[in-house]
Amino acid sequence: MGACLVAALLVAAPVVVTVVQAAQGGFSVAGSAIGSTSTLTLLLHSIEVAAVATPICAVLGVGTAWFVERTTLPGGRLWAVLVVAPLTIPPFVTSYAWANLGPSFQGFVGAAGIIAFSYYPIVFLLVAVALRGLDPALEETGRSLGLSGRGTFFRVVLPQLRPAIYGGMLLVVLDALVEFDAFVGLKFQTFSFDVYAQYQLGFSTSGAAALSFASIALCVILLFGEARLRGHANYTRVSQGARRLAARYTLGRSTVPVIAVLAAVVAISVGIPVGMLVRWFAESSNAALSSAGGNLSYLLPATLTSVEIGVVAAVLGILLALPVAVAVVRHRGPVVTVLERTMYLSFALPDLVGAIALAYLASHWLHFLYGSFVLLVFAEAILFVPFAVVALRATFGQIEPSLEESARSLGSGQLASFWRVTLPLARPGLVAALVLVFTFTLGDLSTTQVLLPVNLYTLGTEFYSNSSTVAFAAAAPFAAVLIALAMAAAYLLMSRFGTVRALASR
Amino acid sequence: MADLECRDIRKAYGERVVLAGVDLTVAEGTLTAILGSSGSGKTTLLRIVIGFVVADCGTVSIGGKLAADAGRMYVPPDKRAIGYVAQEGALFPHLTVAQNVGFGLPRAQRKLGSRIAEALDLVGLDRSYADRRPHELSGGEQRRVALARALAPRPALVLLDEPFSGLDAALRGDTRAAVLGALAGAGTTAALVTHDQGEALSMGREVAVLRNGRLVQTAAPETLYRTPADLDLARFVGDAVVVPGVARGGTVACTFGTLAVHGELVAGAVAVMIRPEQIRVVRTADGGGVPARIVGLSFYGPESVLQMELADASATAVTARTFDGTGAETGDEVRLLVEGTVATYRAADAKPDEGGEAATAAAS
Repeated sequence: MGACLVAALLVAAPVVVTVVQAAQGGFSVAGSAIGSTSTLTLLLHSIEVAAVATPICAVLGVGTAWFVERTTLPGGRLWAVLVVAPLTIPPFVTSYAWANLGPSFQGFVGAAGIIAFSYYPIVFLLVAVALRGLDPALEETGRSLGLSGRGTFFRVVLPQLRPAIYGGMLLVVLDALVEFDAFVGLKFQTFSFDVYAQYQLGFSTSGAAALSFASIALCVILLFGEARLRGHANYTRVSQGARRLAARYTLGRSTVPVIAVLAAVVAISVGIPVGMLVRWFAESSNAALSSAGGNLSYLLPATLTSVEIGVVAAVLGILLALPVAVAVVRHRGPVVTVLERTMYLSFALPDLVGAIALAYLASHWLHFLYGSFVLLVFAEAILFVPFAVVALRATFGQIEPSLEESARSLGSGQLASFWRVTLPLARPGLVAALVLVFTFTLGDLSTTQVLLPVNLYTLGTEFYSNSSTVAFAAAAPFAAVLIALAMAAAYLLMSRFGTVRALASR
Repeated sequence: MADLECRDIRKAYGERVVLAGVDLTVAEGTLTAILGSSGSGKTTLLRIVIGFVVADCGTVSIGGKLAADAGRMYVPPDKRAIGYVAQEGALFPHLTVAQNVGFGLPRAQRKLGSRIAEALDLVGLDRSYADRRPHELSGGEQRRVALARALAPRPALVLLDEPFSGLDAALRGDTRAAVLGALAGAGTTAALVTHDQGEALSMGREVAVLRNGRLVQTAAPETLYRTPADLDLARFVGDAVVVPGVARGGTVACTFGTLAVHGELVAGAVAVMIRPEQIRVVRTADGGGVPARIVGLSFYGPESVLQMELADASATAVTARTFDGTGAETGDEVRLLVEGTVATYRAADAKPDEGGEAATAAAS
C-alpha cells in the first residue's frame, strides 16, 4: 500500500505543480486565458473529436476483437498483429500521413479519423482479453434458451464485455482530449494547440497552466464517472474447476465480407502511414536522397537514444504501475480505487503542460535533475503509466488468489510468494506493459521536445524537424525505423497482452 | 506433529455472522472432519486456522503455540507450517509436478529431489509423473499432487478443503484411500472440511458438525450417527424416521412397539429417531409388525430405499433401506419391524410429519 501511495504521488506531481503555477499567475491571468473565446472554441474542438472518435473506437475495437478471437478467420494471428499495429505507430507519423492525403483530411475529419483509427486497438486489446475470459457455457445457455447467434452476442456476450469496453473508451476519450502529437501535421487546432500557443508565444506558463484547469476538471469527472459506471463489475474471474476453451464460430459465407471490412480497417489504420513512407521513398529524387544521405549518419545514434529512453521509461513505468495493479485486483475498496484512478491523472494535462510542470519542479527544487536524462524518462514513465496499469491489471486479474495462498501455506512469505508464483505467471503481462510504455515513449514528441537533454536527438525529433521543413526524403528513414519497431511491438503486444503464462505448453 | 486448538472463534462480515464462537480441538496425529452444509462457515474456519483470514475474536493455537488471538495475528500463514490443500487443488500452472511438490522445501532439498519422490510415493503417484505439467493430469491426480505438495515439507498440521469434491465416485474412493494412507503414514494431524456426510463419517476419527456458525456436536462418527445432539442434526447426518412415543426407564413405546433406548434417557412424551437401515420390511404377517404401504421405491443395485406410509390414521412417512427389496412394488402392503436400539428426544423437538419428509428428501 505504501508503494501505491508513492507511485500515485509521483504521477500526480505534475498536476499539483500545474495547479500551483496557475495560482501563482493570479486569477486575472487565469481568467483572461480561460475566458478568451478562442480557448472555448478550441476546447469544443477537442471535445468534438473525442465525442466522434470514441464511439468509432468502441465499434471497431469490439468488432475486430470478436472476429479475431472468436471466429475461424483465415490468417487469425496475422490479423491480430495488423489490428494492434496502429496503436504502436507513432501518432505524429500517422498525422503527417493523413495530412499528405489532401486538404480535406487536414481538418476535423483527419483529427477524428486519426484518433479513431490509431486508438481503437486499446478497446481491441481489452475486449479480446475479456472475450478469452468468458465462460462458453454462458453462450451455450443463451442458445439453449432460444436466442439466435446474433441475439446471444447482444444479450449475453456484450453485457459481459461492458467493463472492458468502458475501460477502453475511457482511455481513448482521455487521450483524445489532450492529444497534441497526433495533430501536428494537420491544420486542425485543438485545446492542446491553445496551450502550446500560450506557452510558445507568451512563454506564459501560468496562462498555459490555467488553461489546463479545463482538462483537469474533464479528466477527473470522466475518471470517477467511469468508476461509477463500472460499479462492481469484477475483473477477476471467480472460476472453480476447469473452464473449457471458448469455441470459435465458423464464418462460412460471411468470410469474404468480414475479411473485406477488416482489410479496409487495416488499410486505413496501417496502410496510410506505411503508404506515405513508401511514397516518400519512391518520390524522393535521387538528389534529395543523396542530400538526405548526410542525415543517415544521425540514424543510428537517434535509434539508440530512442531505444534507451524507451527501455528505461518502460522499466520505470512498470515499477510505478505494479503496486497499484496488484492492489486493485487483490484488495478492492475506496482507497485503492482512488489510488488507481490517480494513476490516470497524466491524462489530465496536455503532454506539454505536464512536461513543463516537471521542468519547473526540477528547476526550483531538484536542480540536479533539470535538463537531465533521468527527468525525461521519468516524465515519459508517468505519462504512459496508465497503459502499464491497464496491461498489468488485465493479467493479474486472471491469476487466482488461491495460488498465492498455496505458496503462503508452503512457507513462502508474501514477497517470496509474489516472486515465485505471481510474477512468473504474469510474465506475458509484464512484457505487454513494457512494450506499451516503450512504444508510446518512442512515439512521443511533445514531452521529448521539452525535456530532451540538449545534446541528444531521437528518431521522433529528427523525423519532426525534417518533415516540418518538408524534407520528406530526409524524414523517411526515421519513420521507417519507427514503423519497423512498431510492427515488432504489435506482435509482442497481441501475443502477450492480458495473458497468464499458459497452462498449455506451446 | 502438533495438535490444533481453536477457542471461541468469531467472524462476521458486516452484519452477516459466519462463525459465532467455535471451539475445536484436533488431537495430535488424528483427522477431524468438519461437516457442514454450504454457507455454514466451514471454509472460513479453515482459512482462519491457516491465517488467510483473521478472526474477530478467539484464539488459534498450533502445537500449543498461540498463532492468532483476538483479531491479532502472531504467526503469519507462511510460518505456521500448515499444509493446505485448496478446494480446486491450486497447482502452480507454470511448474512441473516435481517443482510443485518441491515448492515448500528448502532449496537444497528441492535440488536433491529425494523428498519429492517420497512425497509422490506417499500419495500413491508414480514417480514418472514428476516432469508432467498440472494441465496434463486428471482431476484425481491433481488432488494427489496438491496433497503431496502439502505433505512434502512435513507439516505439523494439514488442512483439506473439500479435497474430493467434483471427483467421480470411483476416483473419489481411490483418492480418499490414498489421502488417508498418506496422512496415517506421516502421522500428521489433519482437519478436513466437507459437506458430504459419508465422507465425514468414514474419514474422521472425530466429526465436528458446523451449523449456523456454531459447532453443534463433535463426536466419534458412530456416536454422532447413533446419538446426534438434536433431531435436526439427526436428519443432517443421515436419513431419519421420526415417530412420537412415550418413554419410561430404558424403553420407549411407539407405533413400532416397545423399543430399547440408547444415549441420553428422557422420560415422558418424546420423539423417537430410527435410522432407515434399522427398519426391516417383511411380506407376511407371521412375525407381527406394523402394517404399511409402499408409496415409492428407489433401486440402487445392492440396496433399495423404500418410501412407505403407516397404514394407521397418522399415515406417517417411513423410509427404509434394505438389501432385499427385490420384487417390491409401489402399492404393496408390508409389515415393518424395528431392530436395535433407538435415540429419543424431548417431545418439543418432535415434528413427525416434517421428519418424514426430510427423511425422504435426504434419501433421494
